[in-house]
Amino acid sequence: MFDRDVWQEIFNTIKTNKLRTFLTGFSVGWAIFILVMLLASVNGMQNGFLGQFNDDATNTIFIRPGTTSKAYGGFEAGRRIQLKNEDLEYVKKSFADDIEYLSSRYYANVTARYKSETGSYNVQATHPDHQAIEKTLIMSGRYFNEADLINKAKVVVIGRKVAEDLFKKEDPLGKFVELNNLSFRVIGVFTDDGDDNAERGIYAPVTTYQRIYGNTNNINVIALTYNPTYDLAKALEFSGKLEDVMKRRHKIDPEDQAGLYVWNYAEAFDNISSFTAVLRGIGIGVGFLILVAGIVGIGNIMVFTIKERTKEIGVRKALGARPRQIINLVLLESIFITALSGFIGLLFAWMILVAVGPMFQTPAFSNPSVNASTVITATIILIVAGVLAGLIPAMKAANVKPIVALSDK
Amino acid sequence: MIEIKDLHKSYKMGSNSLHVLKGINFKVEDGELVAIMGSSGSGKSTLLNILGMLDGADSGEYTLDGVPIKNLSETKAAQYRNKFLGFIFQSFNLINYKSALENVALPLYYQKVPRKERQEKAMQYLEKVGLKPWAHHLPSELSGGQKQRVAIARAMAAEPKVLLADEPTGALDSKTSYEVMDLIQQINDEGNTILVVTHEEDIAHMCKRIVHLKDGVIVEDKKIEQVRAGQYV
Repeated sequence: MFDRDVWQEIFNTIKTNKLRTFLTGFSVGWAIFILVMLLASVNGMQNGFLGQFNDDATNTIFIRPGTTSKAYGGFEAGRRIQLKNEDLEYVKKSFADDIEYLSSRYYANVTARYKSETGSYNVQATHPDHQAIEKTLIMSGRYFNEADLINKAKVVVIGRKVAEDLFKKEDPLGKFVELNNLSFRVIGVFTDDGDDNAERGIYAPVTTYQRIYGNTNNINVIALTYNPTYDLAKALEFSGKLEDVMKRRHKIDPEDQAGLYVWNYAEAFDNISSFTAVLRGIGIGVGFLILVAGIVGIGNIMVFTIKERTKEIGVRKALGARPRQIINLVLLESIFITALSGFIGLLFAWMILVAVGPMFQTPAFSNPSVNASTVITATIILIVAGVLAGLIPAMKAANVKPIVALSDK
Repeated sequence: MIEIKDLHKSYKMGSNSLHVLKGINFKVEDGELVAIMGSSGSGKSTLLNILGMLDGADSGEYTLDGVPIKNLSETKAAQYRNKFLGFIFQSFNLINYKSALENVALPLYYQKVPRKERQEKAMQYLEKVGLKPWAHHLPSELSGGQKQRVAIARAMAAEPKVLLADEPTGALDSKTSYEVMDLIQQINDEGNTILVVTHEEDIAHMCKRIVHLKDGVIVEDKKIEQVRAGQYV
C-alpha cells in the first residue's frame, strides 16, 4: 500500500492538476481551520469561566445553615439552624483526612472610622486558614495567625479599597482603626483578583469577634477546602457525606433542602463542564457540517480525476490490476489530499491561536487554544473524511470496464 | 493453447439485439502467429476482447492453456490476464507519466515482483526491443514506433502464454509498421503464441495463418507462406 509506485501516481495526479487540487484542498483546509477555531473558542470560554472561579480555591465547600422546611426528629418545621464552634470542631475531627483547610466565618456589619474618615463595611471574622480558602492576597503586612486567634487579638486585615477610603495616602499598617467604636490594629492589607467588592471587606480573628458580640460561640458559615487530590466524583461523595453528617447532627430531615446548605464548587465546575461540553459539541457539529462541503468537493475532484484516467485504469486492468488495487490507489489519493490540506488548515489555525490567543484575557473569554485531543480529533475526522470522499469515486474506478476504457472511440 | 467452441456474443442496442459472434469455432496451437482479419463490424475486435477476458461470451466454451475461462470474478479475471495474456494496442496505451522502464515494469508490479527485480527484468525486455537507451524517457519523448516497441516489451514482461495485438500497426506509417512486425515475428520465432487483429493485407501476410471473419462467422481459415518483415526494414 505504501510503496513508491503508489505515491508516484498520487503526486503525479496532484502535479498535473495543481489548481484544481488546491481549490478543493482549500475547502477542506478551511473547514478544519473553522473547526479548530470553534473548538479553541469554546476552550477560551471555558478558560474564561474557570478564571472567574480562580479567585477562590476551586476545591471549596461552604456549609450554611438555613431554616428547616420539614418536621423531623420531634421538631417542627421552620426551626432556624445555628452553627456553633462545636460544629467546626466536629467537622475537623470527623473528616481529618478529607480536609485541607478549614475555617469558620462570622459576619458583622461595622462602621469604621479613622481620623475624620468613616465608612460602612462587612467584617468576616475567620480562622487563619481562611486566607488559603479565599486565596486572599496580602499586599503588605500579614494575615492574622493562630496566636492572634488564641489571644483574641484586636487586629484586622483590611481590603485595598478600605485602606484607600479611610487612610487616603497614609500607610495603614500598625495604625488603629475604630470599628463600631472599638479600636483595632491594622496588621495587613489585602487585594483580591475576583472583584473590587471583595476589597471593601475586613478580616478579623473569629474569636475576637465572638467575644465582642456577647461571648457567643455562634458562627455563620463553615468554609473548607477538601483534599486537592480528589477528583470530581470523590469530591461530590465527600460533600454528600458532609451534608448527611451535619444534617444528622442538627436533626434535619435528610430530604430537607432548606435546613442546611452544603455548597460544593465542584458541582459548579461540573455544570460549567457540561455547558462547555455542549458548546464543544455544537462547535464540532458546525465544523463538521462545513467539512461535509469540503468532502463533497474532494469527492468531486476524484470523480473528475477518475473520468480523466478511465483509459489508464482500463490499461492497468488489462495488465492485471485487481479491483482492490485500484480502490486502494484512489482512496489513498483522496486521504492524502484531505489529510494534507486539513493539516495545513490545522497549522494555520494553530499559528493564529499561538500569535493572537494570549491577547484575549477578558472574564468571559481567555487564552483560546487547541490541545492534543483537538488535534487527534481533527486527524481522525480528516482520515474518515478522506475515505468518505474517495469511496464512491474508488468504487466507480474499480468498476471501469477495460473494454470500454480501451475502445479508441 | 487456445480453444473456442461455438462462441456466441450479442450486444443490446436499445430494444434491438446485435448478434456479433454467431458460433465461432477456433483453435490456436502453441507457437502460432495468427492474423484475424475482417472489415469493421465483422466481430474481430469482439473476438479479441473475449479472448483477452476483457469481455464475456454469451455462450460457448473458451479454454486457455487448459484452463476453462468462464464466469470469472473481476479479481480472478485480473489474475488470469496478468498470468496468461499480454496486450498490444493500436494506440499503445502507455501511461504517460511513467518512463518507458516503469511502463514495462507495470505488469510485474501487479505480479508483486519486488521493485529491484522488476526493474532489472523490464530493462532486459527494453533491451530486447532495442530501447535500452530510452529506458528513462517518458512516452511523450518517443516516436510512435518506439512507443509500440515499449508496449510490446510491456506485453512480454509478464511472460504471458499468448500475446494479443489489436491493430498494432494501425497508428504507424508503413516503414515503422514493418519494424514492429519484424519485432513481432522475432518474438514468435522464439516460440511465443501471438494473435494479431488487423485489416491490412500486407500485415496479415506477415503472419503464419489468416483467419477471416465476416458477419460474426469464420469464412476462411488458412495457413500461409509467411512474408518476413525484415526484408523491408
